[in-house]
Amino acid sequence: MSGWFSRLTLNQKLALAAIALGAGALFAAPYPGSKVTLDARELALVVGTEADHVEAPELAAWIIENRADYRLVDLRTEKEFATYSIPTAVNIPMSVLPEAGLGRQEKLVLYSEGGIHSAQAWMLLKALGHKSVYMLKGGLDEWKDQVVFPVLADDPTPAQRARDERLKAMSAFFGGQPRSAASAAAGEPETPGIAAPLTPAVPKVAAPPSPAGGAKPAVKKKREGC
Amino acid sequence: MAMTAPFFKYGMFGDEASLVLAFLIGIGFGFFLERAGFGSARKLVSQFYLNDLAVFKVMFTAIVTAMLGVTYLGWIGWLDLSLVYLVPTYLLPQVVGGLLLGVGFVVGGYCPGTSVAATATGRVDGLVYVLGIFAGMFAFAELYPFLKGFYLSGSGEALTIPGTFGLPYGLVVFAVVLMAVGGFYGAGLLEKKFAAAGE
Repeated sequence: MSGWFSRLTLNQKLALAAIALGAGALFAAPYPGSKVTLDARELALVVGTEADHVEAPELAAWIIENRADYRLVDLRTEKEFATYSIPTAVNIPMSVLPEAGLGRQEKLVLYSEGGIHSAQAWMLLKALGHKSVYMLKGGLDEWKDQVVFPVLADDPTPAQRARDERLKAMSAFFGGQPRSAASAAAGEPETPGIAAPLTPAVPKVAAPPSPAGGAKPAVKKKREGC
Repeated sequence: MAMTAPFFKYGMFGDEASLVLAFLIGIGFGFFLERAGFGSARKLVSQFYLNDLAVFKVMFTAIVTAMLGVTYLGWIGWLDLSLVYLVPTYLLPQVVGGLLLGVGFVVGGYCPGTSVAATATGRVDGLVYVLGIFAGMFAFAELYPFLKGFYLSGSGEALTIPGTFGLPYGLVVFAVVLMAVGGFYGAGLLEKKFAAAGE
């Protein structure tokens, strides 16, 4: 039975092995594809403790401090991104997120208009094995409410006064202006238009070019290779 | 999950460590080129006279080995193929570049990697070839403004055979294996024929 096999030369045996492995590859699916697995317990824990949130003022402080250890991702469409975006954000619309080539260890902060899209994207990226994904709590709505047009106390105590000063500076940095508590309560139409941020030269975070010019949103790959 | 490759893309080491690894892999590559006899221009060019097709066989064996390894590692989940870097395709410039490299190979007797291996073992012709490579790189860099249009013409996307022709990945793998085995068989026949003719 094994007589014919032992008569083969080493090269012929190797060729046979290659053919067998190649035939096996016919059934292989080496790309992970779109099927993923999730660690439900870990996800539930993270969601329950809100460890996956970044508050708007916290993000504002990071941008002002010029921190570069994270990437801010705007999940809205290119058109919406062109109208207004948080400084330093890169635009990766929801639909191209799985192919955007984001590093698995990269710290990502996601935001969308409200919170739904970023929560869905958060789940998607977690499922794809990203380790460090956060959402801007409340999305752009809360960003505008708390950072660009923050509400100042009407009759401030000294402690509130100090806080208000910080809010004023922060809102000026991002091209907005504070509102009084009265006008906010009256539901005054918000966002009278955001001026250009104070620092037009806020350096872009990380390597990817900002695709604000309507270029491809996918992050351009670094040239590597031979 | 913790052991998924590519390790660099998963952040298991940084740029500096990757340079050290590249050095070690390069030394290994050179070592095996030399062991296969590819530090000798005579051995290399004899494939163009069809009496010794060792280069073809070694290179195609490497391709098949790597391809099968990558396929199966991807299948069992140790390697995320979607993160493996693919060289962008510029079809026409790359065809012209490939032909140019082939002409250089026939004339000079080496290809870039083997010329470095030959230089490392003290061969003067290898050293001349390496100097020629650097002269060519310098000339190319100086002429780049004029060549840029052609150099970057074509798609620039990373095209793959399964993606472009809509073929199943496994089928392409199997076809390449068959191509290699058929090629080895054909190479053996050619070697016999031309070795006899040469003597």
